[in-house]
Amino acid sequence: MPHIDLFQFFRFWLGWVVTIYATILTLQSLYGWYIWLAGEDKYISLLRRYILVQGLRLRFKTFWGDVLVCALLTMAFCILWRAHHVMYDLKVALESTR
Amino acid sequence: MSQTPPTSSSPETVPLPPQGAIVPVNAPSRQLGDLPTDELNHLAENFGLVPEDFKSKQHLIAALHERRQRIAAMDRDAMLDVVRWGRRPNPINAGKEQIAIEIARIKTMKFEGLSPRGLAIIATMRGINVEPNDSLVRLIRRLRKQEGLFKRFNRKRRAWIGGMISNMLGEEEPSSEYKFLPAQPGAGNPVSSARSTVRDDIEEAGVIGGLTSRIKKSADSYLNQKLDEIEQRIDRKLDEIDRRLADWRDKEIANRVRIMKITLWVSVIVALVSLIISYVQVYIAPAKNVKPPTTIQSNP
Repeated sequence: MPHIDLFQFFRFWLGWVVTIYATILTLQSLYGWYIWLAGEDKYISLLRRYILVQGLRLRFKTFWGDVLVCALLTMAFCILWRAHHVMYDLKVALESTR
Repeated sequence: MSQTPPTSSSPETVPLPPQGAIVPVNAPSRQLGDLPTDELNHLAENFGLVPEDFKSKQHLIAALHERRQRIAAMDRDAMLDVVRWGRRPNPINAGKEQIAIEIARIKTMKFEGLSPRGLAIIATMRGINVEPNDSLVRLIRRLRKQEGLFKRFNRKRRAWIGGMISNMLGEEEPSSEYKFLPAQPGAGNPVSSARSTVRDDIEEAGVIGGLTSRIKKSADSYLNQKLDEIEQRIDRKLDEIDRRLADWRDKEIANRVRIMKITLWVSVIVALVSLIISYVQVYIAPAKNVKPPTTIQSNP
């Protein structure tokens, strides 16, 4: 009987399911917006330009701190991921020596 | 009524409109000939012609064609001089014909303040052949002569009545500086600025016509003022909407970023806990699970 670590199993499948679900929803939403905004109507054209202007007028001062924290947390997450792999390698090495 | 000649730096002779640059028109007679009589008459009046003076429709078409060719050959700056002097409502980018229509509406016989080239334009628009050696005085005399005795008499009478009425109503000062209308294509025929006094209006258009014109101008002015107020109110509302939208946009983006930050914090904490568990499993738990070496008891 194969040895299954429930904690690992939960993490692995949760990661995959959530990633796929979020990706599909995001792509669906983006496609819907693209189709809507690609219309030929003059009001849609106006809206396109308006959205562009709103994007250019975005004030980064109001949330740049959070963006910085997000970038640092992403780096920390990647380091922890790498640490997990190191730990698994250690585990395999130790088990092989015993 | 003032009889002074127009002000000018070189008041001796009047510059002629350039005659060389006539814009060619493709078969204008045929195009004009297609128009119904009433429209043709209206067009002729717009260009300063009197349709009743012409024997037949063909004569009127020929005169209209000639007038349009003369307008095409006129100096635009000189035409703008007349518009500025006559305080006619005109966009700065108006075409020659549009300017000519406004000039044709100027009926006044008081030419003070008009430049010599403007006087030549107005004389041409009133059907006078301007000669190269025409002096200003001679040109004004020809304009007065063309006006005729009865018309002049009626004008004087109207001026007298206008003077009395303006005294009763109270004289208004005409606005000092002329401003062109905003440059807009198809601006139509907007309201004239306060061009003249009640007396001038009555002199030009008669008692009823002058008063009607004055009332119309007042009503239009009031309407314009109200429209400006409404426009300003709408602008304020739009600015307010734009400001609120900008606030909402920034707040929404900040909220999304905060949600991402929380998600990342949770992911990092879970990863850290998971790493600690792995560490325990690798270094601590195996040490506890180490079984002591089994001793084999031998039977004696």
